Order: sequence, then structure tokens, then C-alpha cells
Amino acid sequence: MTAVAATTDAPQAPARPGVLRRLVSDPAAAIALGFVLATLFAALFAPWLTSVDPYENNLRATLQPPGGEYLLGTDAQGRDLVVRCLFGLRATLLVGLVSLAIGGAIGILVGFLAAFYRRLDGILMRLMDMLLSFPAILFGLAIAAIFGPGLIAVVIALSIATVPLMARIVRGAALVVMKLDYIEAARAVGMSDARLIWRHLAPNCLSPIFVFATLRFGQVVLLGSALSFLGLGAQPPTAELGAMAAEGRNFLFFAPHIAVVPSVLIFLVVLAFNVLGDALRDVLDPKLRV
Amino acid sequence: MLAHIARRLLTAIPVMFGVLLIGFILLQVVPTDPAVVRAGPLATPDVIEAIRRDLGLDQPLWMQFLLYLGRLAQGDLGVSIINNVPVAQELGATIGPTLELMAGALFWSIPLGILLGTVAAYWRGSLLDRAVMAFAVAGVSVPVFFVGLMLIWLVGFKWQLLPFTGRGGPIWTLEGIKALALPALTLGGVFVGPVARMTRTAVLDVLGADHVRTARAKGLVERMVVLHHALRNALIPVVTLIGLQVGFLLGGAVVTETIFSWPGVGRLAVGAILSSDMPVAQGTIIVLSLGFILINLLVDVLYAVLDPRVRAA
Repeated sequence: MTAVAATTDAPQAPARPGVLRRLVSDPAAAIALGFVLATLFAALFAPWLTSVDPYENNLRATLQPPGGEYLLGTDAQGRDLVVRCLFGLRATLLVGLVSLAIGGAIGILVGFLAAFYRRLDGILMRLMDMLLSFPAILFGLAIAAIFGPGLIAVVIALSIATVPLMARIVRGAALVVMKLDYIEAARAVGMSDARLIWRHLAPNCLSPIFVFATLRFGQVVLLGSALSFLGLGAQPPTAELGAMAAEGRNFLFFAPHIAVVPSVLIFLVVLAFNVLGDALRDVLDPKLRV
Repeated sequence: MLAHIARRLLTAIPVMFGVLLIGFILLQVVPTDPAVVRAGPLATPDVIEAIRRDLGLDQPLWMQFLLYLGRLAQGDLGVSIINNVPVAQELGATIGPTLELMAGALFWSIPLGILLGTVAAYWRGSLLDRAVMAFAVAGVSVPVFFVGLMLIWLVGFKWQLLPFTGRGGPIWTLEGIKALALPALTLGGVFVGPVARMTRTAVLDVLGADHVRTARAKGLVERMVVLHHALRNALIPVVTLIGLQVGFLLGGAVVTETIFSWPGVGRLAVGAILSSDMPVAQGTIIVLSLGFILINLLVDVLYAVLDPRVRAA
């Protein structure tokens, strides 16, 4: 009895050896991974990487083009765009990360519950279908209308929009695992539901969750910055990439870099996450390829 | 077939109910009293009270919701608190331009996407394939506003080739088409990638299928094999997937309309939310949601028409 319990309790080793090596064998994925790590580092340590205040005006150096004293130029208030971007990246990525964490966690829970308790499946999935009936931008509009524009509204909207997508992925993956013998074995030894889900179901659904989260992160960043660009998210003077691009829009004809620099940064970040997500999917879970 | 449509309609009902509930909630969070707004600045308390009774504002909340639904059924979406124009009238003026923009974007992006996807699948692994796929990934990664701003800056401002603010007129006039060109290019630009990607996957699937091998084995010309046997079958999933991407398109449309001052529903919605014009915000959100649900329904029905197996499921 103890022997059986010991073997079923053994970790299921979700991280197959060599995932990282296989991932970086694709040059595009390697570059993307490098870029992602670099942006995460920059965003995390932004306040320590520079001593310049991203909100301090310098009216003697407004609208400086890139390449001079300021590497990426300055905006209409004379703020250094390198510094602004560093902090903007921080805000943009934070919005994406928080939305993904909240929406993803709820989605994962719903997915497991639906797969594990078949009685709940119908109602939970109908509910998810209802949420899926709305594009994220509509959640953004509605939530911003109810709570007023702001980053909180963006986070709520993007979290809600992420829940049904994650729930579907997790449910699908969990249903496959549920059919496997060791789940039956764990049940047979009298393991509690919560423990079974946590110890055996969850670790074996990690690959699709991880792949989806990476790809979704890019979309969430794109949506979040679009909402901020529209004025429904971060409010000026907050350094957020979408809001910065919106500010730059007013100076498009004589200082295009103010809009271009943050836009290109968003593009590169999202591109890196998408390339990385695609590569991860190919390595971890070729079945997921759509 | 009818049963399938009826079933889909039934599942859409709770969703529509949810949309209307959100619309109702939006009107509840307005800081101003709608009766006071409607009565105007010079109204006496009696008049305001009368209007309040008239609007049913003295009733319990659930009754107000029913009254709200009743007014919606009659096409009464309330009045804008900014300019006192009926919301239905504002919406009526903006739905056309939004549809125009979407049609303009789909008109070129779907054929191009399907072409690129088919070419990429046929020469799988070639340089061409890799280029198309790289383009597709870039397409789903680029912010819509970036594409729009670049087009405005280069094509509109620097080269002075096309106008970039507002609608030029009816779509059958040269002015109308010229004004639509840049917004349609922007919105379609972010749609080519996803379509190409979906088409490539679908065509790859079909190219490996038995009936394609049979077609080749019986000596059909390659062009016939690809166009009639492969692409035709591949298009079924592509149609559905394109339908599912309409939400993505809608998000792009809101941004595109804002950048180009295109007088559509999305721009109206953003403007209303930013100025706390809740009646208009409510109206735009209802229209956008119902439009989206309707498109999903149509896609579903179209899918069932194209692939009879769906009906049985």
C-alpha cells in the first residue's frame, strides 16, 4: 500500500529534459527569448537603471529628435524617451502580467473544475461560451464606462477576457489526462480530490497552460496598450507605452519619434512573446498547433 | 438546418440578455439624474417629478429594467447628455461608416491572406513560406495604431497621396474611396496575417488528405488539384476561423476609427465613455455587442451550410 502511494506520489516530471536546448536551437526563438528576458529585466529594475525621473519636465530640451544628446529623443515636455520607455514598459508589462495572472488563475480553476466534476461541466462551459461571445475590446469599453477609464479598468477587462480562453485550454488538456490510468490509481488509493487535482492533474496540464500563457501575454499587452492609446487605460502623464503613443500622435507631423518609439517597443515585445510562444508550442506540445 | 439555426438562436438569448443588463447598469452609474437632464435647466421640481414618474424612475429596479427593455424595443435608447440628440439617431449615423470600414478592410485582406496562406502551404518549408509566416507573426504583433499612424505620417502627410481625416462621402464616389483607403489599409493590414496563418494550416491539412492524393494519382493538372480539391475543402475551416476573428477586427476598428476620425460606432463609443455620456456609451456597447453576436451566428450558419456534418453534431 505504501509502495503504491509512494510511486503515485512521485513527481510526474512535467519539464522534460532539454526543453530549453530545443527551444534555443531555433535562432528566432533564441533571439525572442533573449529579448523577452532583457525587457523583463529592464521593466523590473527600471527605477534602478536610471536616476532620471520619467515625469520631470525639461522645457529647454523639448521635441529633441533621436540620435543627438538623447538616444531616442525627447517628448513635448522634454522628457527623455529612453527613460519614459523604460517606465512605460514597466507599466505596460505589469498590466499584462496582472491581467494574465488573474484571468489565467480563474480560467485554470474553472477548467479543472469542469474537467474533474462532470456535473459542473455543462454550466461552467456555457458560462465560458457566453464570455467568449464578447471580444476583449468590448469588455474594455464597458468596464471603462462603468468604473471610469484607468489601468484598473483595463486589468479587469483583460482578466475577464482571458478567463474563458484559459478555461477551455485547461479543460481540454485535463480531460485527456483524466482518462489516464494513474488518475484511476490515485483515486483507488483514496486520494482526496483537491490533492489529486493539485498533485497529478495540474502538473500534467502545465505544457498547454504555459504555451497559452506566453501567446496570450502578447495579445494582452497589445490590447492593453490599445485601450490606453484610446484614453481608456493609463492616463497622462503616466508613462505607459500606449498612452505615450497617444501623446505622440499630437506631434506626429513634426516629431514623429514620440509616437514611433513606444509603438515600435510594443511591437517588438509582442513579437518576441509571439515568436517565443510559437516555438514553445512546437517544442512542448505539437498537438496544440492551430 | 432550421433546427440548427433555432438552437443557435436559443443559446444567443442569454448572451443578449447579459448585454442589455450591462447597458442598463451603465445607465444606473450615471452621476446625473436623467429626469433632471431631460427636464432641462429651467424646470420646476413638479415637472422633474412628473418626468421621473414618466420615465418610471420611482419604480423598483427590476421594474425599471423591464421599462428599459420596453423602451429599447421601441428603438428609444435615450438621449445624449452632451448634445441632447437621441442616441438612436447618433447610432444610425455611425453604423454605416463602421460597416463600410470593415467591408473595406475585409475586401482586400481576406483574398490576400488566403492567397499568401495557400502559397505558403504549397511550398512548405521554402523561403517564401518562411517569409509569409514571418509576415503573419508580425501582423498579429503590431499595434493597429502604429500601422495607422505610420500610414498617416508617410502616405497622408509626407507624400500627400491620400486624405486621412474623416469620411470623404458616399463609397461610390472617388472622394469616398480615397478617404476610406488609409483606414481600410490599416484595419485590413492587421488581418492579413491571421488569415494567411489559418489558411496555411488548413491547406496543409487538406494537401495530405487521401482525396488530394487520389486527384493527383488520376493525373489531374496540379492547378486543378490545388484549387478545386485542396483549397475548396480548406476554405471551410478558414471561413469559421475568419468569423471568430471578427472580434479582433472590431477592436482594430475602434482604434482605426479614432485615429482617422472616422465617424463610426467605435469612435462614438470611445468619445462617449471619455465624456461620461452614458446613454450614448450604453447604446454603442449594445450595438457593437449585438452586431458581434449576429456575425457569430451568421458564421455558424454559414459553416453548417458549407459543412453538413456540423448540423448533425
